[in-house]
Amino acid sequence: MSRWTTLPAAVMVLMFFTTGHAATDPRAVLRAIVDSTRGTSMRATLTLAVQRPGQETTYVLAVVGDGRARSLVHVRAPVRDAGQAFLIDGDNLWIYTPRLKRALRLPPSGRSESFLGSDISYNDLGGRDLEEDYTPRLLAEDVTAVTLELTPKPQAPTPYGRVTISADARTYAPAEIVFYDQRSQAVKRITFADYVPAGTRRFPTRIALSDLLRPGYRTLAVYSAYQFGIAVPEQCFTIRALESGC
Amino acid sequence: MSTTRSPAGIPLYRLAWRSLWRQRRRTILLITVVAYATFTNIFLWGFTDGFLESMLTGHARLISSPVLVATPAYRDDPDPENALPNLDFRDALPEVPGVGATALRLEFPALLRSAYASQGVLARGIEPAQEGRVSYLPAHVRRGRMLATPGEVVLGRALAARIDARVGERVVLDAAGPAGPHAAGLIVVGLIESKVVQVDGGTVLLHLDDARRLTGVTTATGVALDAPRGREDAVARAVQAVLPVGIRAYSLTDLIGFLRVELVNERIQMAFILFIFALFAAAAVTSTILVSVIERTREFGVISALGLGPRDLSRLVTLEATLGSAIGWGIGLVLGYALTLAFGRWNILGPVIFPVYGRAFVALGVGEELFTTSRPDYGVYATVTIVLAALFTLAGPARRVRRLSPAQAMRVE
Repeated sequence: MSRWTTLPAAVMVLMFFTTGHAATDPRAVLRAIVDSTRGTSMRATLTLAVQRPGQETTYVLAVVGDGRARSLVHVRAPVRDAGQAFLIDGDNLWIYTPRLKRALRLPPSGRSESFLGSDISYNDLGGRDLEEDYTPRLLAEDVTAVTLELTPKPQAPTPYGRVTISADARTYAPAEIVFYDQRSQAVKRITFADYVPAGTRRFPTRIALSDLLRPGYRTLAVYSAYQFGIAVPEQCFTIRALESGC
Repeated sequence: MSTTRSPAGIPLYRLAWRSLWRQRRRTILLITVVAYATFTNIFLWGFTDGFLESMLTGHARLISSPVLVATPAYRDDPDPENALPNLDFRDALPEVPGVGATALRLEFPALLRSAYASQGVLARGIEPAQEGRVSYLPAHVRRGRMLATPGEVVLGRALAARIDARVGERVVLDAAGPAGPHAAGLIVVGLIESKVVQVDGGTVLLHLDDARRLTGVTTATGVALDAPRGREDAVARAVQAVLPVGIRAYSLTDLIGFLRVELVNERIQMAFILFIFALFAAAAVTSTILVSVIERTREFGVISALGLGPRDLSRLVTLEATLGSAIGWGIGLVLGYALTLAFGRWNILGPVIFPVYGRAFVALGVGEELFTTSRPDYGVYATVTIVLAALFTLAGPARRVRRLSPAQAMRVE
């Protein structure tokens, strides 16, 4: 085989092993999926529809994120809640309430609390708990989709018995996450749709969270006016930005 | 008992006894009144002391401890940041007279989470091997077993039900301390049911090592000491002598705070109420004797004419009152102690009273189990009725008899 024919073949073999390895290494797949749920650095408008039996409340939020562990969220509507803001920086969480004109730091336990009364917790907004707390196992894989089963690590701070994640096999764009309790009953489902390119990733702009134990409890999050891969100034993740915007 | 004899040679007490039963219906009424007063006295003391005992036991052995060594800063602000600076003094504690055992505790506010719900709690890190020597909590594990190793947690049964956590399942504890925010997944190994609402609805026991890891505190927030019931204050004072500056021993009375004043007030109020009871019973006895004396004026005239002096007549009447009251007292004692013993053995009062006063009981640390106590001194307190009846009789009917003129008395129809 000539040198000119050997090189492309070697590159192809290398590519095969590289992609093949990523697809079958559950940890790498999980990291890629979590990256896709987080997108890259971004600015966007997030419309949050909190559905409860017989009623629905819609929030309009301005979101800034660095694609890692920092997010700044300002509530624009409804008028009743406008002006509230949330700053998430790793394990730290601050809330600004315009009535008090003060930023309050929430205890870490607050991260598990419901965000604006929705089915989303503060952890869902900026955490990487799925990577940190669970051991992934490849449950199913074909040309279109890959499914992981996550089981909690010993003493991991999660109350769930297991989690399943389905994603696109090629882009690792997330399709669905189902949380099960320790009695193998599905308790929460997150579904993703309407993907857009975000750098090298496919970012879902429509996310639906359903409480499977309480019929009618659902939260729909839709991103609009999004910009990905932009430079987000450091001062966006400060208390000053929490109070006055970024 | 008087050995004075009547003119016929019959001892005065026997004459009083006979006179008492000549008017059986009136005497039975007199006995009933005194028996009722005595019974009420014994039962109310038994109930009050039983209630206070339940409260003190609940605080000493389930909620807090008989004596707790902590920093004054922690006492004012129970935050892990105010934990004990060191534990060097611990070895000296068992040498203090009255100290039975010591157990380290590290308490901290946390959020307890299951897959279904979350609840703010005050978690307590313990030494599993030592906790049972100062607390009754391990003895109240009704499902599963007591905590043994790190990675485990024991919950109050009502708390577990509220977040729908079962034995064998994992729950999450989120906490913040000097080391920053930390969380841990812990396996529920046991459920505590003590019938004390604060305990069943709020207990979270985890291993001291886990508590230290979650809070970053390397010592403890307190050292719980075993001390005999009733000697907590003395033991705390003795312990204080071996503690370094900046660390204090708090007795149960310090720990229960305002309840201490309430306890004293409760007993004073009870004593006053029961004195009023005794006063009315004695008045009822005296009025019965007075009616008897008025009806028997002619009889007293005859007895007096036969040679029994006014002083002995007065003693005869007082003896009648005392004998009748003593019989009532005896019957009241039997009935009162029978009831307090029964209510002290079986939890009959708890299910009846708790639904009505449940909220107040929660604040006082009393559970759904309410037992009465039976102490010999209740019987002594109840003799107040007899003493008062004798005094009133001396001042009223006996005085009237003493002033009788035999000639006039015999003319009374």
